Amino acid sequence: MKTSFVFSGSGGQGIMSAGITLAQTAMRMGKHATYLPEYGPEQRGGSAKCTVVISDDPIVSPLPRRCDNLIVMNNLAYNKFEEDLKPDGLLLCNASLVSEPRQRDNITVISAAVDDLAEELGNAKAANIVLLGILIGATGIVSEEAFLQSLEDKFKAKTPGILQLNVAALKKGISIGKPYRA
Amino acid sequence: MSEKRFMKGNEAIAEAAVRAGCRFFAGYPITPQNEIPEYLSWRLPEVGGAFVQGESEIASVNMVYGAAAMGTRAMTSSSGPGISLKAEGISYLASAMLPALIVNISRGGPGLGSIQPAQSDYLQATKALGHGGFHAMVFAPNSAQEAVDLVYEAWEYAERDRNPVMVLMDGCLGNIMEEVELPPMKKLTDEDLPEWSLTRRNGRDYQGNITPIYTEPILEGINTMAGEMYKAWEEEDVKAESFLVDDAEYVVVAYGIASRVAKEAIMALREEGFKVGMIRPITVFPYPKKLIHDLDYSRVKGIIDIEMTIPAQMREDIELQVAERCPVYEYGRSGGCLLDDEGVYDAIKAIVTGGAD
Repeated sequence: MKTSFVFSGSGGQGIMSAGITLAQTAMRMGKHATYLPEYGPEQRGGSAKCTVVISDDPIVSPLPRRCDNLIVMNNLAYNKFEEDLKPDGLLLCNASLVSEPRQRDNITVISAAVDDLAEELGNAKAANIVLLGILIGATGIVSEEAFLQSLEDKFKAKTPGILQLNVAALKKGISIGKPYRA
Repeated sequence: MSEKRFMKGNEAIAEAAVRAGCRFFAGYPITPQNEIPEYLSWRLPEVGGAFVQGESEIASVNMVYGAAAMGTRAMTSSSGPGISLKAEGISYLASAMLPALIVNISRGGPGLGSIQPAQSDYLQATKALGHGGFHAMVFAPNSAQEAVDLVYEAWEYAERDRNPVMVLMDGCLGNIMEEVELPPMKKLTDEDLPEWSLTRRNGRDYQGNITPIYTEPILEGINTMAGEMYKAWEEEDVKAESFLVDDAEYVVVAYGIASRVAKEAIMALREEGFKVGMIRPITVFPYPKKLIHDLDYSRVKGIIDIEMTIPAQMREDIELQVAERCPVYEYGRSGGCLLDDEGVYDAIKAIVTGGAD
């Protein structure tokens, strides 16, 4: 089973970080993963996109044309990559910045105001982790336990509050995503 | 003891170089290879090595010349535009018979081109890395793991041949993170220093002279030796992968990132009953001529050259071996637009079903 994810938005929204953390967590669980970042020459504010492929078998091509899961953090990314989502795919939108996602084919659309939700938890910077939580809740692509371990590794050098914030963000996301689990 | 890590191709190359005994790097920043110098800037000092961000590409490659002359395992890395600037120094390395590793993480070209990945430096790497008619062995890995394995062995070839070695990999593979298994640290001592090196370490006296300029009869002799060395590479050092070639009616030839995308497409086409296979050069110089030459052309109906550059650059090397025994087709993306599995699948299918030429 091979599953592809495209995370997209603008520089500073934690797109690359979300992709790496998901791929590393999959690897932690004994799966195979590739992560490909793509960005423009801008230092910040430019477009940011990464492609993650997760599979039980070694990954042959890390360059799928279309993805099973599309995660968009703003309108620009939505308009640019919407057509790359496969029919039957999952579209996950940051409703704080994506105005009106179109329903098409048989795609599942989850729209959540992750910027606002993260802000309520204490810091809007954790929006990408809320989003990952939703993705994990809806797809079960990695386990909550394995992802918590990745968060601990990622934030172990920071103050404990930052880890707590991200754990809360993850759990919030999972609670939103779980009802969509097929 | 080996260890597994999730690393970018660029970082994997840097760590493999350190473990292969590299103790000197000089380079100048350019996308998409910046993770190599970034990584080595902290990693080399940890192992007693030296990292220099030179004032230019030309200065950097000449610092590598100096370090290599001292018997130190030395390297530089860049992308197309920077490799062009280093061309003079690479030619001097070959002339002075100095081992070194040159890494090209390639991007769109010509000129400053684009910062996005492309396989647009094949001809430069395999035909003329600089003036004077020399060659370097060119490794073209298609994964972070293969990059690690080839870099780990690079200086063994470079020191055996007293000649630079190039690793040619596109920016896509340089930036993809995937799982790699790292080999142990090679433990080199002063005893391992090449006997020709200009070192006074280990109680040695001054060894002589290393020069990139010669009088004419000596230079002719050096040119002749180089020619014999390139022939020997073809006999002994070609590395290539054959995938489902034995019954193939169409054979894809692809290296690096293109070979991975093509393999996925071939696997899908095989499920539909299309007899497609692939030859993947791992060394693009020396080129796996024999594999392509010796195909059974009573069965093979076409060769498909797939590269992430337009026009295809490997085509002439393929055509020389095919010798008009079947048609040669090409498909590619270029300028920083990436190949993808569906595009390659569609292109191969159109060719094998007779819908394209």
